[in-house]
Amino acid sequence: MTAFLALFAQQSLNGIYLGCLYVMVALGLTLIYGVLNQINFAHADFVTVGAFVAFFTATRLAARGLGLPDTAAYFVSIVLACGAGALLGLAINAAVFAPLRDRGDELRPLIATIGVSVLLENGQLALFGPIPYQFDSPFSRETLRLGPLFLTGQNLLVIGVTAAAIIALYAFLRLTFLGKALRAVAQDRETAGLMGINPGLLIGLTIVISSALAGMAGALLGPALVLTPFAGSTVIVKAFAIVVMGGFGNIEGTIVAGVLIGVVEAFTVQYLGSGVIDLVVFALLLLMLAVRPTGLIAERREENV
Amino acid sequence: MKLRLLVALAVVALLPWILHTPYWRGILIVCAMNVMLALSLNLVLGYAGQLNLGQSAFFAIGAYVSTILVKTWGWNFWLAGLAAMIAAGLLGLALSAFAVRLRGHYLAIASLGFAVITYQILINWEAVTEGVRGIYGISPPPGFRSPVALFYLVAGIALIVYRVLDNLVRSPVGETLRSIREDEVSAAAIGVDAARWKAFAFGLGAAIAGLSGCFYPGFVGTLVPDAFNIVESFTMLAMVIVGGMGTMIGPVIGAVVLTFLPELLRGFGELRLMIYGLALTVVVLFLPGGIVQGWHALRARFS
Repeated sequence: MTAFLALFAQQSLNGIYLGCLYVMVALGLTLIYGVLNQINFAHADFVTVGAFVAFFTATRLAARGLGLPDTAAYFVSIVLACGAGALLGLAINAAVFAPLRDRGDELRPLIATIGVSVLLENGQLALFGPIPYQFDSPFSRETLRLGPLFLTGQNLLVIGVTAAAIIALYAFLRLTFLGKALRAVAQDRETAGLMGINPGLLIGLTIVISSALAGMAGALLGPALVLTPFAGSTVIVKAFAIVVMGGFGNIEGTIVAGVLIGVVEAFTVQYLGSGVIDLVVFALLLLMLAVRPTGLIAERREENV
Repeated sequence: MKLRLLVALAVVALLPWILHTPYWRGILIVCAMNVMLALSLNLVLGYAGQLNLGQSAFFAIGAYVSTILVKTWGWNFWLAGLAAMIAAGLLGLALSAFAVRLRGHYLAIASLGFAVITYQILINWEAVTEGVRGIYGISPPPGFRSPVALFYLVAGIALIVYRVLDNLVRSPVGETLRSIREDEVSAAAIGVDAARWKAFAFGLGAAIAGLSGCFYPGFVGTLVPDAFNIVESFTMLAMVIVGGMGTMIGPVIGAVVLTFLPELLRGFGELRLMIYGLALTVVVLFLPGGIVQGWHALRARFS
């Protein structure tokens, strides 16, 4: 019995770690959806770019070029990956979302971001080749023992950074004026515009924040992924499932659904094998959509007739 | 109308003799299958306004059901193809029964989820699908062994599909579908049963994708799950959008362009797919109505 409980606790912990990684990816998608009602299919590739930037920073630039110790180099790489994500966010906003924003069309921006995604994946393929890179986090080597539970430094780091990012995001949305303006844009873009808020600027800001989160998620996911130019796309379908389960644009829902999916995945690996993860996750998604078509925490939106 | 049909028939008849190498004849067959897929997605997306990202799943079901019926159960190819088409259509109906409750992006992700599940089942259900090992030694439909004959067959069926859909969207049914696309609430107010008609479009679109799928294994000779990755759904979507969504000829043009463009760009090596991605984004940004819109704009300028 105690052995079972220990296993249960261990798998829950692994699940929460995985879930935190998914939450980091899914939060950006949900934020963009919240203010813009758009899906960014290139989000996955922002994660991959973040992972590659972090890899090259940690292994080449910071460690060899600047002679930093491993751990410091990894931290620098997380910051740079975050910056790379933010730059990509700026670029995709300027190129795709801003020009298409006022046409009120949900399909074309989606296709345009699929085009960006193809471009980024194959650009990275040309640069880095198809052979996976081995990205080791210095924190993966350190293990902690808490009674019967094992934890790596990387587990703690990911959970800590995710918690910090969520707290920072909430503080920004709830406590700052800019955050309030952003919520106003999310509720009603036109009325917010009439109140003197510049919706374009705030939407741009949201996309930059979301993409920075994706870049950071890439740096944290890197060691857990098979790091190829297509790495992000293995995570993104799950992130979509999480965003839908949480209710599009709903931050709390996304966090709950993200951790839930992480835990489900950990137990699926334990009991059913790793081959069926996507099957279980998406069966869960369809089941949930059949029962609650608007997500765990329902989207509040009136029907405009 | 008669003239257009004759021109289309002449083009189909001549194409395999203009592009006469085995390689290009293969591309032509792929192109005819893609035309059918783009037409099927356009019915769901362009006319009924449902954002379906799962069309690759119905293509896969057509391919696998027909092949398994022929190879394992010894069915006649034509009967198996019909069964596969019906199976894909019924699955489309089943999915739509639950998809009609979902809107816009929820439907997009749910249908994407359906495609992921189908793909995973193809990989994991090894007893039936052979999993990632794949099914080998699949022969083309009887009587259509040569590439030219196979092209004539697939292109002929694509032409029939085009005619049927063209008549359908001109009929009151097409009017009904468009009214649902434009404003579902108003359509309901004038007595349109939106759920039933959306299911009809979804089921018919799925059946056509399944029909296209029947010819794929015989052409390639092998069947592996990777041919039905969700990326294939995006490719079909790109064909519809680049050509011109909600028009009949648009998806045909889109399918032809996006089948031949990657081949013509082969000389660019690794840059090929980058150009493809860029082209997709640029078309959407500057020609939201696709190539058809560009053609109309050009004609307006020079007439």
